[in-house]
Amino acid sequence: MADTGVSTRRTLRLDERGTAGPGGRSDEVVIGLSPAFGDFFTKTIVDIPHAEVLRELLAGIEEQGVHARVIRFRGGSDLAVIAHAAAKLSGSGIAVGVLSRGTTMIHQKDLVRLSNLELFPQAPLMDLDAFRKVGRNAARYAKGESPEPVPARNDFMARPRWQAKAALLHIKETEFVVPGADPVELDVRFQLADAG
Amino acid sequence: MALVAGVDIGNSTTEACVAEVGPDGAVEYLSGALAPTSGVKGTADNVEGVVAVVRRALERARRGRHELDAVLVNEATPVISGLAMETITETIVTESTMIGHNPDTPGGAGLGVGTTVAFGALAECEPGEPVICVVGEGIDFEDAADGINAAVERGVEVTGAIVHADDATLIANRLREPVPVVDEVTLVEKVPLGMPAAVEVAEPGRTIRTLSNSYGIATVFDLDAEQTRMVAPVARALVGNRSAVVVRTPEGDVTGRRIPAGALTLSGERGKRSVEVDAGADEIMATLRGVRPLTDASGEPGSHVGGMLARVRDTMSELTGTRADAVRIQDVLAVDTFVPQRVTGALAGEFALENAVGLAAMVRTSRGPMRLLAAKLREALGVDVLIGGVEADMAVLGALTTPGTGKPVAILDLGGGSTDAAVATDDGVVRSVHLAGAGDLVTKLIDSELGLDNRELAEDIKKFPLAKAESFFHVRMEDGTARFFTDPLPADTFARVVVLSDTGMRPVPTRHSLDRIRQVRRAAKHKVFVVNALRALEQVAPGGNLRQLGFVVVLGGSALDFEIPDLIAEAVAGFGIVCGTGNVRGSEGPRNAVATGLVAAHALTAELGVAVGS
Repeated sequence: MADTGVSTRRTLRLDERGTAGPGGRSDEVVIGLSPAFGDFFTKTIVDIPHAEVLRELLAGIEEQGVHARVIRFRGGSDLAVIAHAAAKLSGSGIAVGVLSRGTTMIHQKDLVRLSNLELFPQAPLMDLDAFRKVGRNAARYAKGESPEPVPARNDFMARPRWQAKAALLHIKETEFVVPGADPVELDVRFQLADAG
Repeated sequence: MALVAGVDIGNSTTEACVAEVGPDGAVEYLSGALAPTSGVKGTADNVEGVVAVVRRALERARRGRHELDAVLVNEATPVISGLAMETITETIVTESTMIGHNPDTPGGAGLGVGTTVAFGALAECEPGEPVICVVGEGIDFEDAADGINAAVERGVEVTGAIVHADDATLIANRLREPVPVVDEVTLVEKVPLGMPAAVEVAEPGRTIRTLSNSYGIATVFDLDAEQTRMVAPVARALVGNRSAVVVRTPEGDVTGRRIPAGALTLSGERGKRSVEVDAGADEIMATLRGVRPLTDASGEPGSHVGGMLARVRDTMSELTGTRADAVRIQDVLAVDTFVPQRVTGALAGEFALENAVGLAAMVRTSRGPMRLLAAKLREALGVDVLIGGVEADMAVLGALTTPGTGKPVAILDLGGGSTDAAVATDDGVVRSVHLAGAGDLVTKLIDSELGLDNRELAEDIKKFPLAKAESFFHVRMEDGTARFFTDPLPADTFARVVVLSDTGMRPVPTRHSLDRIRQVRRAAKHKVFVVNALRALEQVAPGGNLRQLGFVVVLGGSALDFEIPDLIAEAVAGFGIVCGTGNVRGSEGPRNAVATGLVAAHALTAELGVAVGS
């Protein structure tokens, strides 16, 4: 499972564009990133590059003809907090929250924070295809369609196998939390790394 | 004064009615109750349900069990129905001649015509050559777009693309000159290469115009009259799509095939006739009308219909302990339906709605083990158990307690397994009929037509209205009105079509629109209940003339449905009949008719007894 066969062809460049405000477009999905996503961390718990994760989420949204905005939340490392805050800023009220280790959630602004539309709790099971589908479904919710939920995979060996690493990653991510920090809008650019 | 309980053991529910009967035949109804039937109607397994329902009715009447003088049970002849469904058409695509799966998000718009070329071979194409690029599995959307852009730059006319992944919009957005792109073609490697092909994508909200038109395909591929005749089925298969691909191969074709489902032999009092099941429901029902009343039905051995009727027979013989060859099928109802089926030879997992015939067959044994049941009941309740009259007579008596009814009256008892009708004329003669097909068949039709594979959900769709959750605080009802909520709706209902069941909102996890589900639901009810209501009334009406019936009272569990009684009332409105849902004793609604009728009949005999005695 650790070998995802994903090469690190692309690198991710995230440029800050100032404090993120609420979006005005109803055809918009916000992707909320955790404090260290694509920054201190560059890979998920199973070594999928963050560049590819974000690219697939964006591709899934774009394929549906929906606009995406990427925002980093430094105020906390709790996925529900990030995803819900992102949904509150989203013009459609729909957002995808993603942690550095790969745990992902689709949220809606009117839901209570601890609820969600779709949750993918087991980060080690998230592959690129799953991220693409998460992006696709988020966009479909934004369009008012009724998507079939992305099949949430479950492997009960994932917990004993990955729990220690997940805990360490979470502790590390939490070190980057800046309490009370404003969400920051990001410019996303993918660059092809030279093969050599 | 005697305290009696009338008990009606039905296919799915057991109902009771507790009343005081005076020596002069005066009846004072005290209470009613219902409980699920335990076991199969008319067998000793029913005791448990009967005991429960009698206890409940007595509790409601605030009377003890020791005060009860007699329990009246109906002559419950087991009526069992079997259901089966057979697909009778099949769509076959040969030589991968077309792709018509209608992906959600095709890319670009317009029509592209050219020779199919694999993405990897794009670099070898000559400038000026019109090609359709086939992008296989594992090719990234950016690479695909770059490759096509590079080819176009060299002068190759890339007029369209066929893609494996869900990438059409992504690729089209990155092309310098957008072309139509059809994606999600799962078996893209099977697209014949080096063949003339056409890709068409319509603007959102529109449908394709060229490839769904036989002459459009003829123009694109320069076909003569004979060849155009050959492609007509392809065009027909693509009607209504937003995107499509047609590949011109030497023998490519789309055919619709009828699957032989076997012959059904109907033996009636007026002769014996055979009908092919794949002829459809109308033909089967017409044949049935020709031989009615039915004495038995059998299917061609080794065919699907043969197997289905054998299963019904086996179940029945097991339940009643009669020999399988002694079981007689007394009615069948055939309905035309359709089931989503995977198209044979399709490249993108296309589904076609194939025609199917649903069959309900009904079996009645001469007499169930009623004596045994009565003895067991006597033991369990410790009171006298009397087996009352014929169910239909009792139902008529019960129905007549509905305010506003009068003779001649006809009842329609819409149950789960069968539709029953009875008519009582002015002179008190009762004629009755039991027909196959009722609520269970409707559930099955809804389940298969929507491809749910979830009987329980289909049952809910049948019973309750729909709505679409448009936000967490409001739903749009079937009739277009909005309903608002102050507390947010459950997360799993968001953006979905929901069934407004009595236990709350239940999401329907499919991509069918609300309108489509509603249409399937109403059509299924129409096909079963309206057809059966007319069929049943026709058979009991004097001289087969519905105009001779004054009043029709609709009874039974399915009469509680929110639209079935209206559908029936609408259908019989033209015959000048007063038709409505019953309200037994002015309080029970369409329930409890037989139980009430049993008490009424008992009181009548008591009155007669007094008359005779004095």
